Amino acid sequence: MVSENFIRELESIVGASHVAISSTGIELYSYDASLIKSNPAVVVFPGDTQEVAQVVKAANREGVAYVARGFGTNLSGGTISVTEGLVICMSRFNKILGIYPEDRYAVVQPGKTNLEVQEAVGKHNCFYAPDPASQKVSTLGGNVGENSGGPLCLKYGVTSNHILGMEMVTSDGEVVRVGGPVLDSIPGYDLRGLMVGSEGGLGIITELTLRILPKTETVITMLAIYDDIPSAANSVSRIIAAGIVPNTLEMMDATVIEAVESNKPCGYPRDAAAVLIIEVEGMKTGLKEQADQIQEICMATGCREVRVAGSEAERASLWAGRKGAFGAMAQLAPNYLVNDACVPRTNLPEALEEVAAIADKYHFRCGNVFHAGDGNLHPLLLFDSRNEDDLKRVHKAGWDIMEACVRLGGTITGEHGVGREKQEGMHLVFSGDDLNTQTRLKSAFDPNNKLNPDKVIPLSEPKGQPLPPTPPRTLKRPGGASASGVAEAMAEIKAASASGGSVIPVGAELLETYGNICDASAKPVKSLAMTDVIDYDHENQVITVGSGMSIDDLQALVAEHNQWLPIRPPFFKDGSTMGALAATAVSGPERMYYGAPRDFLMGLQYIDSEGKVISTGGKVVKNVAGYDMTRLLCGSNGTLGMITEGTWRIATKPELCTMTSGTGDLASCSKAAVALMTANLFPVYIAAVPVEGDNWRLTTGFEGLTDVVRHQTDLTSALLAKNGLTDIADKDYDLLTGPFKEYFQGLDQKAYVIKAGAITTKIPELFNGLKMALNGSQPEWFLDFGCGRIYVAVDTLDQQTYDAVCKKIASVGGHIRVDKAPEAFKRSNDVYGTLPRPEWKLMHAIKKALDPKGVFAPGRMQGKI
Amino acid sequence: MDIREQYDAIAQCNKCGFCQTACPIFRSTGNEAGVARGRLALMRAIIENRVNWSKEMEEPLFNCLGCGACTTHCNGGIQTADLIMKGRAVYLEQVGRKPIHKLLFDHLLPYPERLHKAARFAAFGKNSGMSKVAKALGLLKVLGRDFSKAEDLVEKLPTKPFRGTIKPGEYPGTGESLRIGYFVGCGVDIIQQDAGKETMKILQKIGKSVTVLNNCCCGLPPWTYGDAEAAAKLASKNLDIFSSGSFDVIVTDCSSCASFIKKYPKIFEKDVTKQAKAKALSPLFKDMVEFLSEHGYPAPIREEPVIVTYHDPCHAVRGQGIAKEPREILKSIPGIEFREMPEANWCCGGAGSYAMTHYDLSMQVLDRKMKNVASTGANFLVTSCPACMIQLSHGVRKHGLDITVCHISELVAGAKAMNAGIKMKKSA
Repeated sequence: MVSENFIRELESIVGASHVAISSTGIELYSYDASLIKSNPAVVVFPGDTQEVAQVVKAANREGVAYVARGFGTNLSGGTISVTEGLVICMSRFNKILGIYPEDRYAVVQPGKTNLEVQEAVGKHNCFYAPDPASQKVSTLGGNVGENSGGPLCLKYGVTSNHILGMEMVTSDGEVVRVGGPVLDSIPGYDLRGLMVGSEGGLGIITELTLRILPKTETVITMLAIYDDIPSAANSVSRIIAAGIVPNTLEMMDATVIEAVESNKPCGYPRDAAAVLIIEVEGMKTGLKEQADQIQEICMATGCREVRVAGSEAERASLWAGRKGAFGAMAQLAPNYLVNDACVPRTNLPEALEEVAAIADKYHFRCGNVFHAGDGNLHPLLLFDSRNEDDLKRVHKAGWDIMEACVRLGGTITGEHGVGREKQEGMHLVFSGDDLNTQTRLKSAFDPNNKLNPDKVIPLSEPKGQPLPPTPPRTLKRPGGASASGVAEAMAEIKAASASGGSVIPVGAELLETYGNICDASAKPVKSLAMTDVIDYDHENQVITVGSGMSIDDLQALVAEHNQWLPIRPPFFKDGSTMGALAATAVSGPERMYYGAPRDFLMGLQYIDSEGKVISTGGKVVKNVAGYDMTRLLCGSNGTLGMITEGTWRIATKPELCTMTSGTGDLASCSKAAVALMTANLFPVYIAAVPVEGDNWRLTTGFEGLTDVVRHQTDLTSALLAKNGLTDIADKDYDLLTGPFKEYFQGLDQKAYVIKAGAITTKIPELFNGLKMALNGSQPEWFLDFGCGRIYVAVDTLDQQTYDAVCKKIASVGGHIRVDKAPEAFKRSNDVYGTLPRPEWKLMHAIKKALDPKGVFAPGRMQGKI
Repeated sequence: MDIREQYDAIAQCNKCGFCQTACPIFRSTGNEAGVARGRLALMRAIIENRVNWSKEMEEPLFNCLGCGACTTHCNGGIQTADLIMKGRAVYLEQVGRKPIHKLLFDHLLPYPERLHKAARFAAFGKNSGMSKVAKALGLLKVLGRDFSKAEDLVEKLPTKPFRGTIKPGEYPGTGESLRIGYFVGCGVDIIQQDAGKETMKILQKIGKSVTVLNNCCCGLPPWTYGDAEAAAKLASKNLDIFSSGSFDVIVTDCSSCASFIKKYPKIFEKDVTKQAKAKALSPLFKDMVEFLSEHGYPAPIREEPVIVTYHDPCHAVRGQGIAKEPREILKSIPGIEFREMPEANWCCGGAGSYAMTHYDLSMQVLDRKMKNVASTGANFLVTSCPACMIQLSHGVRKHGLDITVCHISELVAGAKAMNAGIKMKKSA
């Protein structure tokens, strides 16, 4: 119950018509799309960020817990107030605030639906990649809270890969901005990554900055028909191994085919065991060849027939069955439960057999429609929600399905979230220590446990106590404390922690240390003995290795299966380790196409400040079980723990790498770069280096199937010429070395390397400003237009110049980190800039929660903490 | 009536929320009380004794437009609009009905003459600025609450009903054999008379004879309001009129009437005799658009090129599945450039008397519609339902758009007259 005064206060903040307290109002906000139901005490509909902040402050005074909600389509009970608290409905936050194709971002309010955003950015010839099946009704706020996937995520990744920044209200009612439009996050902990998938437990999002991409040219849709499921699953693996990344691989089983054909027939053969909708998109050139190759692969892996859509109408009809599948299944019973779990995709046939056996055991009809490409299952169980016994059994069946998927190496939820429904399921994949760490993380954001409390992490007995340190009940995590080199490091850290000392995790010690200078007493703990290959599942394109393994060794290892890890970190040396890559999260200009370490790390293990091994994530691409500790640790730079192993997603090597360059003044190069950013092409990087005077050489490259690369290279030459560049030339290069290795080595000769981040269209302005500030120090430059970065290397940097540099960067909305500087500079300066940022407060809170005694790398963080 | 009878249908809701996709009310309010999932949840809560019948149920039940868009997006295909009408009926029993409804449904709508008289008083009041008289009387004051705001919905009321000029009875046509009955809906009879006149012209060209029926209200308003009994009374009177003459086809130029009359067999679920009669007669019944599409129409002539867009009345597109036909007709008229508007099949917010009872909400829905209309750059906004025409005309005035709202009959029959119409309006 809440007090009359509190209701009056809410009414005075948002207006009486935006507060619901009636019996009907409460009933209407007691449910979402899951089976969970619980009454809130009151519902408010704030109209702007300030109102949200005031509502939160008022709730804090009243001692009431609160949960933010959009359109309430959550499938795990995440938007229900389970403590009879306040529901903050964000449906009035429904505006699109800006769309910027040249810089590839859009700013929207969280109450806008995914589809509305798609339509709005579509008008600018762009798209927003995450496309959950619920996109017509699920809001962006919810998509971010759950880290939604969708059919397209096989090719483009999930929501987390496409959120650049946000404005949020924290549990103390303050408004904080996290991230921004720049592709690289603000240096420091990956707060935006942490917020995605946090299920409303860390803050209330009031504005979002999304990454958008130029639309592709064309699409080919196919329907592959199978007499047995293992063959279909086999086709999926073979297609991906061939280096083709379809944007969709959607499977439907016999039950669903039957339901679809009985409801609204769309020509799926009723006697098939499974059908697969395969869609490839991209440049017109080369796409038909890809489709042909897919057909060959399908036919060679036991496919009965492949139908290719010859027209838009045929394409629509192939999709009609998939889109109508839930509806068709819904006709068969009063209700259906959509389950959500993941397995490594090669384990799909076993998973489906288990699902069938479970459905049999509990006497439910069951159909499967799912994203086969990423192993994300959605078994639909048919039941009657009015029947208590049905309800009990359907819960049990759901639990068993989840457990079976975890047994097969997967996870409890791929995209629907943990919420209230799967809270206990967290024990299947995490140890008590892992979960207690996540609780501590939440408390860093929400010390009084008022933000969507009693969700995600299993409740302890008695409440508020840590969970017992039991291992995960079902998931087997090889490696960990038993991997070579880990026990020793644990002992060292434990000893340091016990004696009030501190440590610095180190790898090959080849890198100029990122971050501020550490306390001199901190003892280095080496990872070099952690060289185990813990698991290499080349079919699923996943590898788990110890932190001490060098990147070169890893690349050589996976090259045996024609695979690679698509990261070329600048300034890394021969022998630099995977641990360093995970800890620094450094990426090269290829980030704009492939992503950064945060996008490839699927899970990791680390030693925490008490010397215990903590696990995060897993080995499946889609995994939304718990807070995204993987992203938090990735880039934490040794300040939260010592990463002992990482599970990385790897890819098939591209056939060909070619770059195209042209020379021109900065204005022309910048114009050409923007043209490339918005073109119907897939540039892997867009960067410029100085030639002489105001002449720059702009280089862009393409990596992939030979035909497609060649075609894009031709188009690019024309594009560069059109924008006034001359001396245009193509050159093939080695994949692993990349095009800029030598240039970066050149920059590294200087005493200082500054990295500044700003959006693409601000690069020229930022360059000119920095050039003025650094006048006389003979700077060397690398302008990374694609990622929105400038690297500038100088031999001298005095205090006054540093101040001017920081101010200039701030004036274009950018951010700074000095990647390399002499010790003397570091002693008297903060390498994260002279202007403290508001989000540092959150970073410090996280550090305090996870490393309360300051065991790890003291002094290294922003603000020299 | 007991809402428990609908338990199976209501429990079919899986709470997925897909109905939110295209519910014009939800898209305006963002409140769960204004969408199928919420309305179904409340009816279920009543059945399961978590919520009681009270005034709190009025808003969720009565702010539904009944447009049926939710059903289109429902995996289970739940007919929420129908369930809402039934819920309203129970609400009226349990919570109460206002006397004004009794006056309207029981004493005005069944009797065309009385309705005409009431309309005349209303017209006098409105046209002479005597708004108190207008407020006190008849048609416009249907359900009350937002009426004072809604007064400007109709710009000017004709002083004489359509059937005051063209009296009920048989008129000769130039067609070969077709005997047509013309069902005059209240909207055409009292307000949109130009549309009726053009319909009449076309029907006379196609039919051997056209009989202007002395029908009463089709029954949709009381049905929507949850007064099934009053609706059945009206339907029954009309069925007698249909069977009193021998017609090959009965046509109406109101898509709302057409869709409801086709539903007559459903109204008499408990009266086998009347249901049989309704089943026998309802196949004769055609929406004007459907009729034109099936029987062809005299080739229209047009001199100047114009841009035309079409608004789908809910009762045409979802009520009768009519969507292709009007577009084909419009595209067939020489000189017309047809431009599809975004969300053409979204409700305009008129929804019969909805605009009068829920003016503010209705205007939010209308604003969205007008934005879509304006985006086409059309000269003509065409539709086939007089109630939509009232609402759309109000929208055009409110948004200051240079667009003429008209019935599809007016474009098919009176191409030249329409041009003259534009010029007159512009000069005025």
